[in-house]
Amino acid sequence: MLDTNLRHRPLALLVGVVLAQVLLLAFQIKRDHDVPLIRFWAAELVTPVGRAGTWTSSKVRGIWTGYIALHGARAENERLHGELDQLRLRARDLESQAGEAQRLRVLLDFREAHPEAPMLAAQVIGASADPTSHILFINRGERDRIRRNMAVITPDGIVGKIVEVFSNNTAQVLLINDKESGVGVLFADTRTHGVVKGTGDPEPLMDYVVNDEKVHAGQLIVTSGEDRIFPKDLPVGVVADAAPGSNFQVIRVRPTVRLDRLEDVLILLSRQDVTLKPAQESADTPASPGPAATAPQPAAAASQTQAAPSPPPPER
Amino acid sequence: MASMLNAGARSDSNIEVHKYYGGTVIAAAFLALVLQAFLHKYGRWSELIDLPLLVTVYFGMSKRNPASGLLLGAAIGILQDALSPDNPIGLYGIAKTFVGYVASSIGGRIDTEHPLSRFGLVFLFFHFHQAIFAVTQRVLLNHSAPFFTLRLLLDSLVTAAFGVALFALLDRLRRPS
Repeated sequence: MLDTNLRHRPLALLVGVVLAQVLLLAFQIKRDHDVPLIRFWAAELVTPVGRAGTWTSSKVRGIWTGYIALHGARAENERLHGELDQLRLRARDLESQAGEAQRLRVLLDFREAHPEAPMLAAQVIGASADPTSHILFINRGERDRIRRNMAVITPDGIVGKIVEVFSNNTAQVLLINDKESGVGVLFADTRTHGVVKGTGDPEPLMDYVVNDEKVHAGQLIVTSGEDRIFPKDLPVGVVADAAPGSNFQVIRVRPTVRLDRLEDVLILLSRQDVTLKPAQESADTPASPGPAATAPQPAAAASQTQAAPSPPPPER
Repeated sequence: MASMLNAGARSDSNIEVHKYYGGTVIAAAFLALVLQAFLHKYGRWSELIDLPLLVTVYFGMSKRNPASGLLLGAAIGILQDALSPDNPIGLYGIAKTFVGYVASSIGGRIDTEHPLSRFGLVFLFFHFHQAIFAVTQRVLLNHSAPFFTLRLLLDSLVTAAFGVALFALLDRLRRPS
């Protein structure tokens, strides 16, 4: 053994000396990107180990997170689904509340803008079971001093009138498109009078406008005040289309209020004239044009109304 | 040729190890490096001869101790690298380390005293040295160093011829046994 060691000692020395010089060279030589060879070798030596370590750790982590740590994930998933359903309901509820708050805010702003006209906010609580009749039920009644023939409006225009007061907190509203309804109206620009009558269809007709009268689509129709129910110059609707009739034109009116989507309304407790100020802001939209944009002031309108020919009094 | 090989039949205990006066090896190596480094300015003929290689081969074969032979080769090679600004240190060192080891290893096995054998050994060691040098350059430096060219053949022949004369001169520095 000793002899073998002695015999192999020069060879080991050779390997050592050569290796030392190779390392010496490696410190001096620079390969690609000006990197010393010793660094290149070190990187080549260490990188596979690091790569293997990273691979191993990622696999172990994957097994842990993908299998072991998922213990109980099913129960958690079910719990989270339950929470999600609850949150969806909650979100829907909040959206509804936000919508309601928005509507009430509009009504409140309208009320505050017209302190001269006493009015009462009401919520729509039901509708008629008859599909041909356009009647609503609201949550106001005798207790709130609601009486028959009080006007029901929104900031966008008129809705209808109170036709019955059933109890302390329920009243019935006849919409302007009901076939029993009639509203004294006039064109906001020409001040030509007429009567808007309900037909049972969503869009009522404006009657008593002679064939010679120039009527065009989009023309604003406002209340004339002659029916002693609605104050003067409240928006009623716009002309959808007009056609000559036997004696008078057949004019279809598109109401400025979406009568099929009513949730909150205002009841005018007196027949004080009201100018719908908030509606002025949306005067450029055909569905809800503002009266002030096209209609003259009530005083001026009154004088024009006297000069205009009077139609027959509206029914009911 | 028979006289070249008869030494290989001798056992290690009968190997004749030559001894030199003190400082002879160091002085010869130093002189070889100095001459190699500075003689080339007097003409390109000096580039034909690799004096450090001759000193490494001669003392390696004479000492016949692989450890001292490879250390001598390493020292001479590293100094030669140090005197060659273009070479990283270790390039000649590795080649001459192998030459010193092999020269001292075979020094006791074959006759290294005959001029013809010396010529042949120097010729072979020259190309062995060049082969190690080229491999090192190719592997570590990524340079395409040649293994064999006609110029290298001429260099090896001139170095071998000069080596025969130099070895005879160096023989005179041996301490009488």
